[in-house]
Amino acid sequence: MPEKNLIEIEGLSFKRGDRVIFDGLDMVVRAGQITAIMGPSGTGKTTLLRVIGGQVRPDSGSVRVGGKDVCLMSRGELFELRKDLGMLFQSSALFTDLSVFENVAFPLRVHTDLPEDSIRDLVLMKLNAVGLRGARDLEPSQLSGGMSRRVALARAIALDPSLLMYDEPFTGQDPIALGVLLSLIKNLNQALRTTSLVVSHDVRETLRIADYVYVIADGVVMGQGSPESIASHESDRVQQFIHGSPDGPVPFHYPADDFVYDILEDAAG
Amino acid sequence: MIRFVRSVGSQALERLAGLGRSTVMWATAIWGLPGPGDLVLVLRQIYHVGVLSLIIIVLSAFSIGAVIALQFYTQLSRFGAEDAVGLGLALTLLRELGPVVTALLFAGRAGSAITAEIGLMKATEQLSSMEMMGVDPLHRIVAPRLWAGIISLPLLTAVFNVVAIYGGVVVAVEWLGSDPGAFWSGMRDAVELWDDVGKGMLKSVAFALVVTWIAVFQGYDTEPTAEGIGLATTRTVVLSSVMVLAMDFLLTLSMYGDF
Amino acid sequence: MHMRTIEISVGAFVLAGILALVFLAVKVSGISLSADRAGYTLLARFDDVSGLRLRSKVSMAGVTIGRVARIEVDMEYGQAVVTMEIEGDEGGLTADTGAQILTEGVLGARYVNLMPGADEEMLGDGDYITETQGALVLENLIGDLVTRLGA
Repeated sequence: MPEKNLIEIEGLSFKRGDRVIFDGLDMVVRAGQITAIMGPSGTGKTTLLRVIGGQVRPDSGSVRVGGKDVCLMSRGELFELRKDLGMLFQSSALFTDLSVFENVAFPLRVHTDLPEDSIRDLVLMKLNAVGLRGARDLEPSQLSGGMSRRVALARAIALDPSLLMYDEPFTGQDPIALGVLLSLIKNLNQALRTTSLVVSHDVRETLRIADYVYVIADGVVMGQGSPESIASHESDRVQQFIHGSPDGPVPFHYPADDFVYDILEDAAG
Repeated sequence: MIRFVRSVGSQALERLAGLGRSTVMWATAIWGLPGPGDLVLVLRQIYHVGVLSLIIIVLSAFSIGAVIALQFYTQLSRFGAEDAVGLGLALTLLRELGPVVTALLFAGRAGSAITAEIGLMKATEQLSSMEMMGVDPLHRIVAPRLWAGIISLPLLTAVFNVVAIYGGVVVAVEWLGSDPGAFWSGMRDAVELWDDVGKGMLKSVAFALVVTWIAVFQGYDTEPTAEGIGLATTRTVVLSSVMVLAMDFLLTLSMYGDF
Repeated sequence: MHMRTIEISVGAFVLAGILALVFLAVKVSGISLSADRAGYTLLARFDDVSGLRLRSKVSMAGVTIGRVARIEVDMEYGQAVVTMEIEGDEGGLTADTGAQILTEGVLGARYVNLMPGADEEMLGDGDYITETQGALVLENLIGDLVTRLGA
C-alpha cells in the first residue's frame, strides 16, 4: 500500500466570529487508509471536512490535497478536485426532488458526457454495491434513515473518487444498519483503493475500522495514533473522550455558584 | 435609551448587510445565465411557481372583479352613470389592482413556497452536498427560480386582469343589467394601450423582480433550522408585501404623475 | 412529475398569459392609433380648451377619427393651439370644417367634434381649422344665465 500522504494540513487556523475553531492544526492523511477524526461535539470536525473540500476558506495555514493547496485553487481547479471527491453528509442530503436512481446518477450527469446506457449501468452497479439496487425507483421520502445513507454513499462513490469523506455516518443508526455501514466503509475502501476520512464521535464503531485516529479538541490535535495506541494515550482529555467518562478535563458541572449558597439563597429569600 | 438606539442601529446594519449579501447572490445567480440544459430546470420552476398559482389567481380575480364592478355600479348609478362601470373597472384593474393583488397573492403562495423549499434544502445540507459535487447551487437552484418568477408573475397578472374583467361583466351586465355595448365601448375609449395596459405590465415586471429576489434570498440565507425556515417564510411574505405596496406608490407617482 | 406533463402545462400557461395580454391590448384598450398608420396633422385655435387633454378623442358624427397630439398656448393672441392627428389620407375634410369642444357623457370627458362643411377645397397636412368654438365652461354659462335673468 503506497504510504504517500493524500492530505497534508499545516497550521490551520480558523475563527468564526469570536469562536476559535482551529488554532494551528496539523494533520496528515495517508493514501489508501481509513483515517478517523474524532472529538467532542462542536469541535469543528465537519468544518474540517468543508475546508478540505474547499467550501470554507481558513484564516491561515495550508491544506494540501494531492499536493495542491486547496485555499489557493481557482474555480476550475476546485471543480476538478470535487470530481475526485465523495462526501457522505450527516443528513445524507439526498435531493428530495429526484428519485434514488437520479440521485446516484447526478454526479455522472454533471461531470461526464456518458450516454444514458452507461449511466444506467454505473448507477445500478453502485446501488448494488450498497445493496439497494432494487430501490432504484423509490423517492427519498420513502427511504428509512439507514437506506438514505446507503443511497447517499452510492452517490458519493459514483465517480470512483480518490477521497471519501464521511460526516458522522453512525449517528442514530440501529445496530444492523450500523453493521452494514461499517462493513461497507471498510470494503469500499479496499475495493476502490480510496482514502477514507471518517469524522465521528462514536468511539467504539470508529475504532473498529480505522487505520489511524486523530482526536481533536479545542482547535488542535489532542492525540493521534493507531486505534490500539489511542486507547492508552497519555492525555487525560483523550482518555476521557475514548472511555466516555462523565467527569474529567471536560467537567460534568456547568459553571455555577457554590451549591450550598444557591440553596440557602432561596430559603433566605 | 442608549441600548435601544444601539439595538436599532445594529439591526439596521444587519439589514444593510443582508441587502448586500442578497445583491451578491442575485448578481452571481444571474451572471450564470441558464444555458440550454438549464432550460429544463427553468421550465420545471415555471410549473411550480406559475402554473400552480393559477387557481388562486383565477378565483381571486373573479371575485375581485365582481365585487369592484358591484361597488362601482352602486355608486355610479346614483349619478345615472352606470355605463361607466366598464371603464372604471378596467382602469382600476389595469393600473393598480391587477399588478398589486397578483403580486401579493404570488408572494403568499409562490414566494413562501420558494423560500421554504430553498431553506429546507439548505437545512438538509442538499446545497452543501451539491457544492461538494462541483455544482454551483446558485446556478442550479437559485437562478431557475429567479427566471421562473420574472416570467410567471407578469403572465399571471395578465390572466388576473382578464378574469377580473369578466367577473365584472358577469355582475354588471348579466346580473345588474348594464348595457354591454356601453360597458365595452366605454372601456375601449378610456383605456390606453401603453398608458394603462403597458404601464400596469411594467409594474408587474418590477414586482416580479422584487418578490422573487426576496423569496429566493430569504431561503438561501436562512438559519438551517426548522425555526429558521419558518421565520424566513414569514419574512418573505411580509417583506414582499410591504415592498410591493411601497413600490406601487412610487411607480404610480412616477408613471401617472401629473398631480 | 412527468416531464411531458410539465412541458405541456407550462406551455399552456404561457399561452394563456400571452392570450390574456393580447386580449387586453385589443378588446380592452381598443385599436390604438399608431404612428405607422397613414395619418396627417390638423391644427385649430380655440379660445378655451378647458378639460381637453392629450390623447382626447377627435371625432366626426360620433366616430373617432383621431387624437389630440399637442396642446399649446399662443401667448400673443391668448388662444390655445391644438394639434390633432387624423387617421387616413389628407384631403378628406373640407376647408370649412368646424371644430368644437364638447363633453362626452356624464363624466365629462372632453373631446373635439368635427362638423363637415361644404367647401370645395380640402384640408391638407398641417392646415388650420378656422371655424372653432371653445369649450363651454359651466361657470361662464351660469354667469351668463344669471345676467340674463337679472336683466
